[in-house]
Amino acid sequence: MTAHSTPRLQVPEGWPAPRYDFAGNPVTSAGFALGRRLFYDPILSRDGSVACGSCHQQFAAFAHLDHRVSHGIGGVNGKRNTPGLFNLAWQPELMWDGSVHHLELQPVAPMSNPVEMGGSLALAVDKLRRDARYPELFAEAFGSPGVDSQRLLRALAQFTGTLVSADSRYDRFVEGKEAFTPQERDGLDLFRERCASCHREPLFTDFSYRNNGLDAAPRDAGRAVISGRDEDRGRFRVPSLRNIALTAPYMHDGRYDSLEQVLDHYSGGVQPSPTLDPSLAGGVPLSPDQRSALLIFLDTLTDESFIHDRRFAETHD
Amino acid sequence: MKNRMNLAARHLAAAWLLLLAGCGQGTAQGGLPLRIEISHVVGEAPLRLGDSYKTGAGDSWSAERLRYYLSNFRLRRADSTWFVNPQSADSSRGYFLVDEADAASKQFQIGPIPEGTYSGIEFLVGVDTARNGAGAQTGTLDPARGMFWTWNTGYIFFQFEGHSPQSSDGEHALTYHTGGGADSPARSVFLQFQTPVQVTADNSAELHLYADLSRLFDGAHALRPATMPTAMDPKASAEVADNSAGLFRIDHIHKLPKAGLAQGR
Repeated sequence: MTAHSTPRLQVPEGWPAPRYDFAGNPVTSAGFALGRRLFYDPILSRDGSVACGSCHQQFAAFAHLDHRVSHGIGGVNGKRNTPGLFNLAWQPELMWDGSVHHLELQPVAPMSNPVEMGGSLALAVDKLRRDARYPELFAEAFGSPGVDSQRLLRALAQFTGTLVSADSRYDRFVEGKEAFTPQERDGLDLFRERCASCHREPLFTDFSYRNNGLDAAPRDAGRAVISGRDEDRGRFRVPSLRNIALTAPYMHDGRYDSLEQVLDHYSGGVQPSPTLDPSLAGGVPLSPDQRSALLIFLDTLTDESFIHDRRFAETHD
Repeated sequence: MKNRMNLAARHLAAAWLLLLAGCGQGTAQGGLPLRIEISHVVGEAPLRLGDSYKTGAGDSWSAERLRYYLSNFRLRRADSTWFVNPQSADSSRGYFLVDEADAASKQFQIGPIPEGTYSGIEFLVGVDTARNGAGAQTGTLDPARGMFWTWNTGYIFFQFEGHSPQSSDGEHALTYHTGGGADSPARSVFLQFQTPVQVTADNSAELHLYADLSRLFDGAHALRPATMPTAMDPKASAEVADNSAGLFRIDHIHKLPKAGLAQGR
């Protein structure tokens, strides 16, 4: 693949069928390029100061390195930690609380959120219509003149939906192309025994919502805000662990700076509460050797070719 | 057709889609469209935005904004079968956004209706689950119209905003929105025709629906501004959704000759 080619959604061997169907939004090189341009263009925010790419950085697997919560227009802080963006086409719902159930509609949330991009879909469409360059790019991408919200959202989906990360050392091990060291192998075995019931392979999440015991009295109601159900209080989407070494800080509120702190939490810091996930009652005790093996294994989930793929970069040529 | 054109002219972005839908309409099945006109009332009097009204419990309220989606229209035949109003996956045909502040939005037509005798009409207050989860849409369903929740993705099905001195909100606001994704708050309404409606090659009908806002407060659930100034979360909005379905009644139906339809209004 060259820097100039357009990614297509290819389903890696052994992966489930994607949830987002590109049949209704076929990826074209002009459509993908438009989506990429929009992703990196602050024109989508109210005052032209914040782009999607401001908080979703490719070198951090499209998370926001060193920022506990997202930073929006006017320097205001958001409420939750910016998640990495990859393999989104497989996610049945998006956001920490699963509030968005369709990939195309996800950008409407940050665009309208006063603590993120602070604008609105209508405002963005209006700005794009009056822009010197965009009307032509939209016509190229969709085969006829017209800038509307559907085209804006579909172009963005052509970019975000083709961000596939499936070429980590772990993947090459599973495909039989590379061998693991004994310690990596130990780490994988331990991971499968202790962690994989929620962080299920190959996507390293089962897409469920769980309370992992961060607080005895959760400050952020999480999934319950969306579902209206008390039992969802303090539950959040189980995140994928792919590229986890790149996406610090961790947890929905970014409270942990390192994976060591995350393992400290699971081995000794789980707080009981009525909605604590039953699998975490009593925590997940780990010996020092087991901790090192797990950390070494988690490093194998880093996908260097994904974070260096120039097709996804702001300056791509 | 002229009604559709007005709509299209006001929303240039969706114009070509609506035109396509409109053009296809005449040839798809034959038959005449059925015209629907909606009046918002309080009891028998026309609703006026900003005017003060009283509920049965003695609370005062006023409306500043009233918008909702109607969709999935069906007409029941005398033999208990249904005519299902066509909707298209590629456009918002069959989905109507009614806005008290926009006179044109309160008149629309469904069909074309096959010739026959019809005994009642059914529709959804809101958007069906399939379309609500179908991704970015156009026309009346364009999320840029603002009838869309961004924090809990999905259309706002029914939106009532106003004021009440009894409202416990700091600014005495009343904000009732139904919508969202899971546990759909879309409600189905069936209205029986008092006398059957005949659709022939030469005659269709105009249905004049009244949506009585007094029933928003004095409906299946008694809503009190003091205890419920705001309904936006899934639990609270379920009661508003139930009541929104009880607003509608048929005031009258009159015959609409083909010539009248062609002229539009």
